[in-house]
Amino acid sequence: MTEPVVSIEGLSIDYVVGAGRFRAVSDVSLEIAPGQVVGIVGETGCGKSTLAQAIPRLLPEPPATIGAGSIRFRGIDLVRVPQWRMPALRGTGISMIFQEPLNSLNPSFRIYDQIAEAVRIRRAREHGAAVVDPRTPPPFDYARGPRPTTASALARPFVPPNTEEKARRWSRRGHPELRADVLEYLRLVRINDPETILDLYPHELSGGMRQRVMIAMALSERPALLIADEPTSALDVTIQAQVLTLMKELIEEIDTSVLFISHDLGVIAETADVLGVMYAGRIVEFGPVADVFGAPRHPYTKALLRAAPTRYKSDGPLASIAGSVADVAHPPPGCRFHPRCPIARPVCRAEPPPPLRAAPNLPAHESACHFADEVGAIP
Amino acid sequence: MSDTPLVEAVDLQKEFPLARTIGDSLAGRPARAIRAVDGVSLSIRPRETVGLIGESGSGKTTLGWLIARLHDATGGQLRFDGADLMRMRGAELRRWRRNVQVVFQDPVGSLDPRLRVWQIVGEPIRAQGERDRRRVRERVRELLPTVGLPGSCLDQYPHEFSGGGRQRLSLARALSVDPRLLVLDEPTSALDVAVQAQILNRLVELQRERPVAYLLITHNVAAVRYVADRVAVMYLGRIVEVGAVRSVLEKPLHPYTKALLAAVPTADASRRRTRFRIGGDVPSLINPPPGCRFAPRCPFVIDRCRTEYPALREIPGSPGQTVACHRAEEVRDVRPEELLAVGDAPAPPPSAPA
Repeated sequence: MTEPVVSIEGLSIDYVVGAGRFRAVSDVSLEIAPGQVVGIVGETGCGKSTLAQAIPRLLPEPPATIGAGSIRFRGIDLVRVPQWRMPALRGTGISMIFQEPLNSLNPSFRIYDQIAEAVRIRRAREHGAAVVDPRTPPPFDYARGPRPTTASALARPFVPPNTEEKARRWSRRGHPELRADVLEYLRLVRINDPETILDLYPHELSGGMRQRVMIAMALSERPALLIADEPTSALDVTIQAQVLTLMKELIEEIDTSVLFISHDLGVIAETADVLGVMYAGRIVEFGPVADVFGAPRHPYTKALLRAAPTRYKSDGPLASIAGSVADVAHPPPGCRFHPRCPIARPVCRAEPPPPLRAAPNLPAHESACHFADEVGAIP
Repeated sequence: MSDTPLVEAVDLQKEFPLARTIGDSLAGRPARAIRAVDGVSLSIRPRETVGLIGESGSGKTTLGWLIARLHDATGGQLRFDGADLMRMRGAELRRWRRNVQVVFQDPVGSLDPRLRVWQIVGEPIRAQGERDRRRVRERVRELLPTVGLPGSCLDQYPHEFSGGGRQRLSLARALSVDPRLLVLDEPTSALDVAVQAQILNRLVELQRERPVAYLLITHNVAAVRYVADRVAVMYLGRIVEVGAVRSVLEKPLHPYTKALLAAVPTADASRRRTRFRIGGDVPSLINPPPGCRFAPRCPFVIDRCRTEYPALREIPGSPGQTVACHRAEEVRDVRPEELLAVGDAPAPPPSAPA
C-alpha cells in the first residue's frame, strides 16, 4: 500500500476544565491514503470536531491537551511540534474548511485580500521564504514574565506604525500575477463572475458563495490533506447539494485527500470512500461506505441508520436510541455504548470493548464490538 | 377529521418595511419592503398536521408567526375557527392565545435561564389567569410525563437539560394550556438524529392522545414525511405546491419540490457520485423576480414563467394536489432523480418543451 498522507496513532485528547479532566477523544488511530476521502460521522459531543482540529493543532491548548499518541504528516510528528512553530507549518499541506463561513472569513477585508493572502503566502514559500522563521524565539509570555513597565511600554508603542506595510499592500493589490491566481481559484470553485466578487465583503455574499470562497482559499494552498468540518451543515438543502457536487468534482480534479466530518449520514454517504463512526470519543466502526451502510457491524451504527426518519407515521413509530449520549466526563464502564445497546451482555459492562478488528471475510471493515457478528440480526 | 378548517388563511401578506436611506429620499424613490409572505392561502383542519417545507428566507417562519398572531399581517384574511383573527385585540386576543402555542427552534434561546422548570412550563397557565402557585405546580407536574420528563424536575433550571430535554420543556410549555393548534418552528433542527426520532415519535403520539393540530415548519423533509398529513412547499414567500404528504413527496409536481427532494442526501451509498443540476442562489426578497419566483433557477423555464406568476391549481391526474407552475402537466412525470446526473456523464439537457 502507498504511504499514507497522514497517520494518526493512538491519539487521545483531554480537556481540562476547572478541576475536572475529561477525555474527548480516546485512542483514535486513523490513516488517510493519497486521494482518499475519509468520513467521520457521529452525534454532538462525540469528539469528531476535536479530532479534526487536533490535526492542524488548532485546538486551544489549554484547555485541550493532547494526552497521548502521534499525528505523522510528511515525516513530522505534529504532536511534538511546539505551538509557536505551528504557523510556519500551517497551510503547507493541510487546509481546513469550517462549518460557518461567515465566522471564518474576516468581515473587514474584501474577498480579494483574503484569498490573495493565502496565495501570497504559498508563493512566498515556493520561492524559499519562510513565513515565520523557525529560529524566532517563542513569543513573550505575559502570563509568566514580569509585566513591562509603563515607561518601557511608552517608549516602544504596542502597535508600530505600518504605513510602509500599507503602501506595499495597496501596490500588491493590483499585482497582475497575483490577481490572475486569485481569479483562477475563484473560477475553480465555479464562481461565474469572479471579477465582481473580488471587491465585495463577506457579508455581501450568500452562504453558498461564502463557502465557495472558503473552499477556494483552502485549495489555494495546494493541500495534500483537506479537512472539512461540517462544511455544508449551515447551508440550505439545495445549496448544500451544489456545494457537495462542487467538492466531489474538485476532489477528483486536484487529487487531494480529504477528512470529511459531518453529523449527517446522507452527506457522508454521498462523499466519503471510507467512513469512521465515532461514539463518546472512540471510533467504534470503520470501513468502506457501502459496507458500513449496507451491513453495519456495530450496534450504534445500526441504531443511527435506523433513527433517520424515512417513513410515514402510518408505518409505525421511528426507531430511536434509548437513553442519551454517554457523558465523556463520566463514561460508563466497559463499552461506552452498553447502556443503550440492544444486545449488551454482562461482558460489555465489565470489559472494555475489543480494539477495532476486521470481519473475517471483509478485511477492510472493522468494528469495536464483542458481538459484531450479531449486529446483522438486530431487527 | 371534520372539514371545517381550524385555521384559514386567504391571500395572507406580510411586508417588513426597510429603512429608507437618505439617498432614497433625495432621489424620491419609494420606501422598499421585504415581502416575506406574499399572498399565501392555507387551511389547517382540526387534528391535522400540515408540514411547511422551505429553505431559509422562504417565509415559512413568518407564516407560522402570522398564524400564531406573533406578527400582524399586512394584507389578506385570517380566520381561526370562523372568527376573524386579524381584528382581535386586547383581552379577547389574550384569551384566544390559549388556542395556539408555539415551539421555537432554539432550545437554548427560547427558555429563560433564570426561571425554574415549573415557572417556564407554567407561564402560559399563569398568563391565562391562574394565579395559585400550587395549582400551577400541580398542573406542570402532571404535564411533564406526557413529554417524557420526570415530574420531579420541577425546580431544576433549563441548563441542567440536554438539547432534547430542553425541546421537551418547550413542548410541555406549549401544551400546558391545551392548545388546539401547535406551531412547531423547526422543533428538531438543533437536535441529533437519535434525539430527533424521540421527539418526532412523541409528537405523533401526543396527537393521538389529544385533539391538537400541528403546523410543522421545517426544512427537514424527513421530519415532515414522518409527522405530516399534508405538505405545503414554500419558495420566496409563496406556496408553490400543496397536497397529501405521500403524493407530494412521492410524485412532486413543482420543479422546486423536485429539486428540493433531489437535493436531500440519503444514507444510500448507491446514489453516490451524483451531480446536482440546480444552480443559482435563492434570490433576494427585496427585488423578487417578476413572474414565477423559481424561474431563474428552474431547468424547465419558458418565457411565460418570467412574466406571469402561475396560480395554484389542480392538474388532471393528481387529485388533491395543487401546484403553481405553468408547465405542471409537462413536467409531471420528471422524477426528482433526473435532476441529478450520475457519474461523469455530462448532464442531459432538461426535457425539451413540448
